[in-house]
Amino acid sequence: MPLRILHGINKLKTALKRGCLAAVRQPHLIKGTNNMNKNRIYPRYFAYGALIIYFVFFFLPGLIGVGYSFTDWSAYSDELHYVGFQNFKTVFSADENYMKIITNTLEFTLITTILKNVIGLILALLLTKSIRLLNMHRGIVFMPSVLSTLIIGMIFKSILDPKSGLLNSFFRSIGLDMLAQKWLVSSELAFGSVMAVDIWRGVGYIMTILIAGILSISSDYYEAAAIDGAGGWKKFWYITFPLILPTLATTTVLNVIYGLKVFDMVYALTNGGPGKATTEVLYTAVFKKFGTGQYAVGTALSSVMFVIMIIVGMYMIRVMTKNEVVE
Amino acid sequence: MKKKLLVSLLSCSMVLGMLAGCGQSASTDSAPAAPAADTASEPAATETEAEAPAAEAPAADSGEDVTITFMASQDWIQDAEMELGEKFTEQTGIKVDYQIVPSDQYESLLMTKINAGECTDIFGGQSSQFSIVTQFDVEKNAVDLSGESWAGNVDPAAAVELSVDGKLYGQPIQDVSACWAVAYNISLFDELGLSIPTNYAEFCDVCEQIKAAGVIPIYECVSDGWHHVCWTEAAIAATQADPSYPDALNNNTATFEGNKELTTMFTQLKELADLGYMGDNYMSNEYADAPASIASGEYAMVLYNQGLGAEVNAADPSFPEDNIGYFVNPLCDNQALNVNYCGPSRFIFSGSKNIDAAKKYLEFMASDESLAYMTENVGKFNQLPFSNAPSAYSKVVQDFYDRYPTKVAVFQASVKYYNPAWMDIGADMSAMFLGEMTPDEVLKDIDKLRAEQAVAASDPAWNQ
Repeated sequence: MPLRILHGINKLKTALKRGCLAAVRQPHLIKGTNNMNKNRIYPRYFAYGALIIYFVFFFLPGLIGVGYSFTDWSAYSDELHYVGFQNFKTVFSADENYMKIITNTLEFTLITTILKNVIGLILALLLTKSIRLLNMHRGIVFMPSVLSTLIIGMIFKSILDPKSGLLNSFFRSIGLDMLAQKWLVSSELAFGSVMAVDIWRGVGYIMTILIAGILSISSDYYEAAAIDGAGGWKKFWYITFPLILPTLATTTVLNVIYGLKVFDMVYALTNGGPGKATTEVLYTAVFKKFGTGQYAVGTALSSVMFVIMIIVGMYMIRVMTKNEVVE
Repeated sequence: MKKKLLVSLLSCSMVLGMLAGCGQSASTDSAPAAPAADTASEPAATETEAEAPAAEAPAADSGEDVTITFMASQDWIQDAEMELGEKFTEQTGIKVDYQIVPSDQYESLLMTKINAGECTDIFGGQSSQFSIVTQFDVEKNAVDLSGESWAGNVDPAAAVELSVDGKLYGQPIQDVSACWAVAYNISLFDELGLSIPTNYAEFCDVCEQIKAAGVIPIYECVSDGWHHVCWTEAAIAATQADPSYPDALNNNTATFEGNKELTTMFTQLKELADLGYMGDNYMSNEYADAPASIASGEYAMVLYNQGLGAEVNAADPSFPEDNIGYFVNPLCDNQALNVNYCGPSRFIFSGSKNIDAAKKYLEFMASDESLAYMTENVGKFNQLPFSNAPSAYSKVVQDFYDRYPTKVAVFQASVKYYNPAWMDIGADMSAMFLGEMTPDEVLKDIDKLRAEQAVAASDPAWNQ
């Protein structure tokens, strides 16, 4: 059986090679395309408007924000003094909770990204089969993504209420009392519960993107593999998965950016609690610092976040562009 | 053909929508802060108890397009106030948009809005002669209300907490004569042969007997973020032990950490939770469910103000209003009345475009009829802090006040930078209940929270 599959894959490789050879044998086709592209390159000054807008409204405020993190800017005083790395010392001080907040944010990002991708992929594979009421199923899974996160948060706060919530009432009604937990108010379960609700909300969106990716794979590959006797798992592992990797990279980027910037779900469900910072993430902490008028510490936290995002972003770009061919 | 028709219809509706939007904004812009009718200050006398003050005059034309926004924490705006708001609109044409925010999120949201210069026309905030300066910076962010017709009617003790340099910046919303005391089910106490505890040991004994009877002794609601902090009003025990202690805290010559009474207070509170006297769900219970929980008989006591009887009666009419009694918070063996003339108040945002309309609203709410209506329809309002407000103390409440002749001001009113840290202290206490922080660590963190604000505010006592 594996030999047959290898044979099929070799056939694919051969077909790809033939395509490349054809291009080599007919260079005028490629040359013509290049000339066309060259003619279509617009003058550089066309980009100046967009660059100026981006610089003034995005880049400059970001720089100013970083600058403020070296001052004692607060709502209590109109004066501004340079304090060096004082705010960053506070952020990284062992007496403070900020390191836990940064860890929480990274943990949230990592876990939700992995689980959203895995569950989204499983759902996408299931919902690209010929099943009854396919669009209805897709619609149901996608629906949470279009609802307001705050509304979802408030609904789940009620569902997860330990005393009268729907979930615990259900467990009690079927005799599984031991599963009835303090989902949002216990320090062991709160963060997991928040992540679970967020995964439930976001998985439909990821699934939709992956469905588009799966549907773009030509059925010829599956037919060839089927002729060679490949089963469902082999088809997935040798055809679907490699060809959907670029789509998975896109969903990963989307999830990572969302995870690092998460605010509303945590705000609505626990507001950072229970306790001091059980579910606190960077943006809820920044929001609270601005709320109490401690702008400088807030901007320092934002700057730390900025650096983390740059590092993560650069790493992801490097990984994603590793296999790209530069002309 | 069908497509074309659909496209044409959609295009027409878009154009109409845009025109309507432009038209509305134009009319609003054309009448900013138009003065409302004089009748706003003269709501008609209320004849019946159940009805809001009747409109005396037809809708005034001058305020027709004005909508004032009023943001406040959950539980600060009562149904009765919104009913009065409708009457206010009938009389003046000025609409009131109430924006009620969950209490655990309110403070962050309010301060963000104030600090961003984008606050609502009226905002609710806790009064305190210290925090209205350090937290709200009312001289900059709120409108001076000293010249308003009702300003002279505000109870002097409450006015002090709303004033800076003799200028009044806010209007009290609630009854500040009430204090946070332990409200209890009188008939249950009688059934079990229990008497009012006079110290912490007796309180524990009472709780134990109630628990043995199958009733959860104390209803606590940590999830709101603020209610469990009210137990710390027993800190007046520290003031009684050393009357100069609040001043020493304000002068930065004393700390919370290491104070014997305060350590005892937090230790005892944690002990009440650990002994199961607060039940299993005290971390997720909500303040709004307290009256119904007492009415159901599931819980016996709750830390509440002196309006619980009426609220329990409203939740269950078969539960008599006078079946709720009160005794002082017994942590640290406290037996003094914890008075606090601070409370939720209305402030007009200085950046508001509708200052005149907002002033009309405050004037309306301070009228004889409105105050009477609020007192009649809000169970916990016995005596609003206005000279023209009626008194409605029941015998049970009067007995409670008479039982404790010693009155001591709570830290919320007497100690700087304590009230603004209320929600942070709540988070620390929540961590203490979960076992993540010890009472000593909570006290140490309160010192840190106060110091952060003091340093940021360039308080000389912290910046020497």
